[in-house]
Amino acid sequence: MNELEQELFEKRLISIATGLDYPRTPDIARAVMTRLRPLTRPRFISRRLAWSLTIILILFSSLMLIPPARAAIIEFIQIGIVRIFRGTPTPPPLPNAGPPSTMIPLTATSGPTSQSLIPILESLAGEMSLEEAQQTVDFPILLPSSPPDLGNPERIFVQEADGKMAILVWIDDQQPERISMSLHFIPHGSWAIDKVEPTLIQETEVNDQRAIWTVGPYPLRLYNGDIEFMRLIDGHVLIWVDGDVTYRLETDLPLEEAVKIAESLEPIR
Amino acid sequence: MGLSCGQFALLCLTWNLYIFNGVLDMNYNLSGEVRLEESTLIRHAANGDAAAWEPLILAHQEAVFRLAYLILGDPDDAADIAQEAFLRAWNHIKRFDPTRPLRPWLLSIVANLARNRHRSAGRYVATLTRAFRNEPAPANIEEKSAQHIQARELWKAVQSLSMPDQQIVYLRYFLDLSVMETSEILQVAEGTVKSRLSRALERLRGIIQQEFPVLAESREGHDA
Repeated sequence: MNELEQELFEKRLISIATGLDYPRTPDIARAVMTRLRPLTRPRFISRRLAWSLTIILILFSSLMLIPPARAAIIEFIQIGIVRIFRGTPTPPPLPNAGPPSTMIPLTATSGPTSQSLIPILESLAGEMSLEEAQQTVDFPILLPSSPPDLGNPERIFVQEADGKMAILVWIDDQQPERISMSLHFIPHGSWAIDKVEPTLIQETEVNDQRAIWTVGPYPLRLYNGDIEFMRLIDGHVLIWVDGDVTYRLETDLPLEEAVKIAESLEPIR
Repeated sequence: MGLSCGQFALLCLTWNLYIFNGVLDMNYNLSGEVRLEESTLIRHAANGDAAAWEPLILAHQEAVFRLAYLILGDPDDAADIAQEAFLRAWNHIKRFDPTRPLRPWLLSIVANLARNRHRSAGRYVATLTRAFRNEPAPANIEEKSAQHIQARELWKAVQSLSMPDQQIVYLRYFLDLSVMETSEILQVAEGTVKSRLSRALERLRGIIQQEFPVLAESREGHDA
């Protein structure tokens, strides 16, 4: 076949071939994408990694059921870089409901070491006098001047939390088994600030600075080394920041009263 | 080889979504139509964006399916192989040079897959099954136009060739690809394509003259 013959033959072939009735092309794109999408999503997290994470989660959950292991894990988290975990959510307080609303530990804790009207306070670590506390911490401990009859706190604790954290506790004069108010001084950089993501109920202001009105437990260190999330009062919590210190006022008073107390803080005389 | 109306509409819709998402570069031709760069889609696909792969499938699925169909002769097999080809291409898209046209690469993948399927033992069973299932009734054949009959006869004639000869004939004359594209798909030089074509045509002409007189008569008439 010479060149001309081949050229004519080629043209003839193309002419005939164009008449071939192909089946309608199926929707291959849809079929491929259906098969492709389930394959592409797991790229972010492989099956092996997912299994590993599941096992770790189960192990972690199991360990958290054992108080000593839980304490060790919390210590580990405390030392490590990752400091965020959420406290056990608590329902909003019901006014005038149930027994006297003092010291309800939200997690299982070791029992009190002495007979006390407020057992939970006996299990808290770092109790000292107000003077000792002021000498221990790097920030000024402030006391509320309102209400005038409040007086000095009955119990004072200083706990290590990547910085010294002071906790002042006022006992109800009329009901000595009841805590009327607690005030936390949490230094800047403390893990204790990051460990709780409070549920915002209302935004407010303390000394013209943003503050939040919330509820929920708080991590406190027990004398046996455990860290427990607990509420000292069945009430609300006012949180605000002044300088390098975060303040946490726990009270069953209404918001306006709490703000008034917060704004009345003064150095120890 | 053009897209059907539905496919074209879907392709436009998919591309328009890309445009509105601001994901892709685009060009405007003289008639004002928007044309997206294939290379841009390929780059996005190479970065793991499966959505960018879809318009590329839509653009090439017909050619891919038809080549598979020509080699295998069965639409279901061809659809399977076409899907497999696009999945394989997706898995290796990172290694593909986005500045090169995609179609030759896709067709080379589908040709390899179809050849392997053709050789497989399962292919023999599938062929038998198809012979009982899809054998067209004589009445249907009679209804087809003379052009369709001729084309089908030509296809049968080509099927008598060796697989390499079949492949080059399908690419060059049935899919109407250029010598350059054919050389890219077969990964040989253009000169090699021409020489292989020349030999394949010689063999095909012999087969037609001996076994497909209708085509031979047409050719003789055409030559005359």
